[in-house]
Amino acid sequence: MLGGRTIRMRAPWTAMGLLAFLAAPLAAQNRVLPPAPSFSEVTDEAGRTVRVPQPVRRIISLAPSLTETIYELGAQDRLVADTDYCDYPDAARAKPKVGGALNPSIEQIAALHPDLVLLTRDLNRYETVLALEQLDIPVYAVDPRTVEQMISSSQRLAEILGVAEAGRALGEDLEKRLENLRTRLAGLPARRVLFVVWSDPLISAGRKTFIADALRLAGAVSIVNSEQDWPQLSLEEAVRLHPEFIVFAAAHAQNAEKEFTALSARPVWREMEAVKNRKIVVVSEAVNRPAPRMVAAIEDLARQIHPEAFPPDEKKSPAAPPSPRLANSSRFGGAS
Amino acid sequence: MSASTPNSPASSAAAHFAAAAVSAPANEVRLSVEQASYSYVPNPSQAPLFTLEATSFQARPGELVAILGPNASGKSTLLKLVSGALRPLSGRVLLNGFHTGNLDPRTRAQRIAVVQQESRLLFPSRVWEFVLQGRHAHGRSLRFESADDIIIARGALARVGAEHLLDRWMDQLSGGEKQRVILARALAQQPLLLLLDEPTLHLDVGAQMDFLEVLRRLAAQNHYTIVVVTHELNLAAEYADQVVLMQRGKVLRTGSAAVVMQREILEQVFQASLSVEIGASGRPRITVLSGTLGKQGTSR
Amino acid sequence: MKPLTLRSLLIRCGILAAVLFVSVFIALKLGAVPVSLYGLGRDLIRVAMGYSSDLSTDYRLIVFDIRMPRILLAIFVGASLSVAGTSFQALLRNPLADPYVLGVSSGSAVGAILALIAAQHMDLPPLAAGLLTPFGAFVGGMATIAAVYYLGRREGQIESGTLLLAGIICVSFLSGIITFLLNTLSLRDRGGMSFWLLGELGTPLPSSLRWVLVIGFFAAAAAIYTTASDLNLLLSGEQEAMHLGVDIDRVRLVVYIGASVLTGLAVSVSGAIGFVGLLVPHIMRSIFGPDHRILLPTAALGGAIVLVLADALARTVVAPTEIPVGAVTAIVGAPLFIYVLRRRAA
Repeated sequence: MLGGRTIRMRAPWTAMGLLAFLAAPLAAQNRVLPPAPSFSEVTDEAGRTVRVPQPVRRIISLAPSLTETIYELGAQDRLVADTDYCDYPDAARAKPKVGGALNPSIEQIAALHPDLVLLTRDLNRYETVLALEQLDIPVYAVDPRTVEQMISSSQRLAEILGVAEAGRALGEDLEKRLENLRTRLAGLPARRVLFVVWSDPLISAGRKTFIADALRLAGAVSIVNSEQDWPQLSLEEAVRLHPEFIVFAAAHAQNAEKEFTALSARPVWREMEAVKNRKIVVVSEAVNRPAPRMVAAIEDLARQIHPEAFPPDEKKSPAAPPSPRLANSSRFGGAS
Repeated sequence: MSASTPNSPASSAAAHFAAAAVSAPANEVRLSVEQASYSYVPNPSQAPLFTLEATSFQARPGELVAILGPNASGKSTLLKLVSGALRPLSGRVLLNGFHTGNLDPRTRAQRIAVVQQESRLLFPSRVWEFVLQGRHAHGRSLRFESADDIIIARGALARVGAEHLLDRWMDQLSGGEKQRVILARALAQQPLLLLLDEPTLHLDVGAQMDFLEVLRRLAAQNHYTIVVVTHELNLAAEYADQVVLMQRGKVLRTGSAAVVMQREILEQVFQASLSVEIGASGRPRITVLSGTLGKQGTSR
Repeated sequence: MKPLTLRSLLIRCGILAAVLFVSVFIALKLGAVPVSLYGLGRDLIRVAMGYSSDLSTDYRLIVFDIRMPRILLAIFVGASLSVAGTSFQALLRNPLADPYVLGVSSGSAVGAILALIAAQHMDLPPLAAGLLTPFGAFVGGMATIAAVYYLGRREGQIESGTLLLAGIICVSFLSGIITFLLNTLSLRDRGGMSFWLLGELGTPLPSSLRWVLVIGFFAAAAAIYTTASDLNLLLSGEQEAMHLGVDIDRVRLVVYIGASVLTGLAVSVSGAIGFVGLLVPHIMRSIFGPDHRILLPTAALGGAIVLVLADALARTVVAPTEIPVGAVTAIVGAPLFIYVLRRRAA
C-alpha cells in the first residue's frame, strides 16, 4: 500500500558500460614484438622451456651476478640494461637501469625490446617472470647453488649467447684455479670459521648456501650447520662453538673494522678466542655473489686462513682482485 | 477475533491487520497475555538464572498499561515477551489473535513499536533521518523514502510536539527532546501496540510528566495500546489505566491503579515505608517516608 | 529536510565515475616510459572504435598490455576493499574496523606461503604455477573467515563484540605462524613474499582469474547493497534495528560473507594493501553522509580512484624502480588516519 520506489538497475549497467569500454583494448591481444629470424629452444635452470631468438642481440640482466658474468664473457656490448645494484665492473654502473632486482619496471624492460632477459631464481621474483612471459619476452633463469654449478651455468649461458669459446676458456681457467687450491689445501685440516652475514642480530649462513660451498673450497668449515639459509644464532652459541676465525665479507676494510669493533665490545663476544686474538678475516663481497669473481675471493680467503699453504715466495695470480685488509689483523696465529 | 485463531502466513496477517488499527472497537481485546512464562538458562546444567512465572493480563485499544515493580522484578522480560523478541516458554502472547513470537521481524515491526531507554548512535544523524527509520518495515527493504513516508514521519513528529526539531542533529538534543523523537520514530511505524521500557529514566521531573501526558493523549486520540515499564510509583498511579505489579518474576496484582496500589502490598514490594492518599485527580498519590522498613535482611 | 533520492544518488555516483575516468587517464599517462597526453587521448578513441592495429606497437604494448590491466586490477581491488571496509565498519559497529580485522589477510598470507612451498616441491606447468598463489591465498582467507565465524558466534548467532575478539585472536595467531614460516623455512621466493605482504599490483593476472575477480566483485557488492537500508538501522543498535523490522541474523550473515569474499578476492590477487579499506569509507562518509545507500557505491568508486592514483605514484615516484603500492597507501594513509582520529576526538 505504501510502497517506496525501488532502485532500478541503472547504476550497475553504467558500471558495466565503463568496464566494457576499458576492457576493449584487452580484447585485442596481438603480440607486438617483431619476429626474430630464428629461434633455438633451450631449457633453463628452473626447468622452463625458453625460445631464445638467434642471434641474441639485446640482453637485459636482472641480477648483479649475471651482469658480472656477461662482462667476463665479453658480451657486454650486447647488454642494453641492468639493475640499480649492478656495480661491478665499474662500466656496469653506466648502463641504463630498469630498477631493482626484486621490482624492475616491466614497462622499461619492454620498451628496450630485449631479445633475452636473464635472471636468477634466487634473487628475482617469479612474478617478474610471469609478467615478462605474458608479453612474450624470452626469459632465461639461472639457478646455481654451488661454485661448480656457477661455472657450468656460466658456460651454458655463454653457449646461448653465442660466445661458447669465451665460456669454455673462462670455465677452464676457474676450474684450474680451484684445482690448484684443492691441491694446496689437501691434507690440511679444515679451519672452523664463523661467517658473519649480519652482526646484530647475529646471522650466519646455512649449509645450503653459496657461502657454505665457498668456505668448503677455501679449506674452512662453518661452525653453523643449519638447514635454514640464514640462521640466526645467539652469541653464547657462537662462543660455545669455538670458531678459529671470524670472517666478514665487505667492500671496504673500514666497514669491517667498524663492525668488528662494535662486536668485540659486547660482553659475551669478548670471550671468544678468535676475538681475543683478533683472528678476523675480511674478504671481498664477491664471495656473496655467484659470479666468476667469487673464485678469486675464495682464493683470498684460503690465503688468509691457511697461510701455511701459500709460501711467501710464490707470485699471486694476476687475476686476483685486491682484497681489503684489516689493520692489525692477525694472520699468523699470534697476537699482532 | 477469538483467542483460538490459528497462525496464518505473514502476508495474510499483514492484510488482516490493515484494517485493524484505528477502527477497532474500543472494548475489543487487542493484547492478550495468557499464562506466559520465561526463564533465562545460560548453562543447561545449572538452575535458571531468572524465571518469570506464568503471567496474564489483557489490554484494549486506547489503554495505557503500566508494568510496575522494583529492579530485577522481571518487567523488561515481560515486555520482551509482549514485543515478540522472546518466545514464552509456556503460555502465549497474542496481538489481535496472532502470536507475537511467531511473526517475522518485518511484520512484527509494522504492528509493534518498542521505545528503549537511550539510543546510541554510531554516526551523527539528523532528526528527520532518525524518524524516517520507522518507515523501514513498510514497503520493500531496499528503497528510497516516498512522499507518503515523509508525510507520515512529519505527522509523527507533530503528534509528539517535536516538529520544530526536524532539521536538528540528534546528538544536540536535550534528554526530553531526544525521547520525544524516539517516540516519534516509533509512531512512524504506525503500530497497534506501543511498548516503552523505562522511558523516563533519564528525564528530569517536568519532562517526565510531559512525556506521560503525550502518551496518555496518544492512547486516547489515536487508540494505541500502550504498555510502559516503570518503577516510578506516581507516574504509574497518575497515568495508567491498568497496573501490573511485579516482584521477583511474579505478578502480584493487576487492575486499576486504585485497586493495585495499596499501602501494604506496595511496602512489601518496594521495601520502603510509604503513605498512600487519594489525590485531587482521584488517583492514588504515594509518598515515600523512609527506606527499607527498618528491618535487616536483603534488599531484594 | 533532504531525503536521499535515486536522482541524487546517480548524480553523485556519476561525478565520481567521471573522476575515476580522469584518474585512469592520468594513470595511463604516468609511468617509467613517457607517453604523450595528446597521443594517449587520440589512441584511446581509436581503440574504443576498434582501430587498435593502427597504433605503434611499442606504445600499445606499454599502455594497453602493461598499464591498462594493472589499472583495471587497481579499480577492482580498490573498490572491493572499500566496500568490504564499509561493510565491516557497519557490521562490527566500529568505525576503526578495516577489511583485515577479522583475519582474512593473515589467513591469505599463510595460504600463499603454503602454496609457495608446495609449488617448490611440485613440478607444475606454468599456468598452474601462476594460479597457485592466488588460489592458496583465497583458500587461506576463506578458511580463516569460517574459523572466525564459528568462534565469533554466541548462542548460534554472530555477535559483533565476540566476532571482533575472535578476529583479533586469529590475526595474532596467524601472524606468529607467518613469522615462523618465513624464518624457519628456506623459502626461495622470500623476496616475493615481503612484496605480497605489503601489497602490490604488479603481478599479472591470468585472464581466467580476471573474470573471477570482476564477477565476484559485482555479485558480492550487489548482495551487500541489498542490505544497505538495514545497515543504516543496524547502526542505531541491534535491538533497535530488530524492533524496526530488520532481520539481523540474515543481514549479518549476508554482509559477513559478502565482505569476506570481497576481501579474500582482493587479497589473493594483490596482497594485503592497507588503509584503503579503512580510510575511503571515512572520507566518503564525511562527504556524502553515513547513509549506506549512497555510501556503498561511492566508497567503491572512491576506493578505485584512490588505488589507481596510488599505483600510478608507486610506479613513477622512483622510476624505474617500483615500490609496492601498499607502501604508498601506508605512507599517505597513516597521516590521514591520524587526522581522521583527531577530528573524531574533537
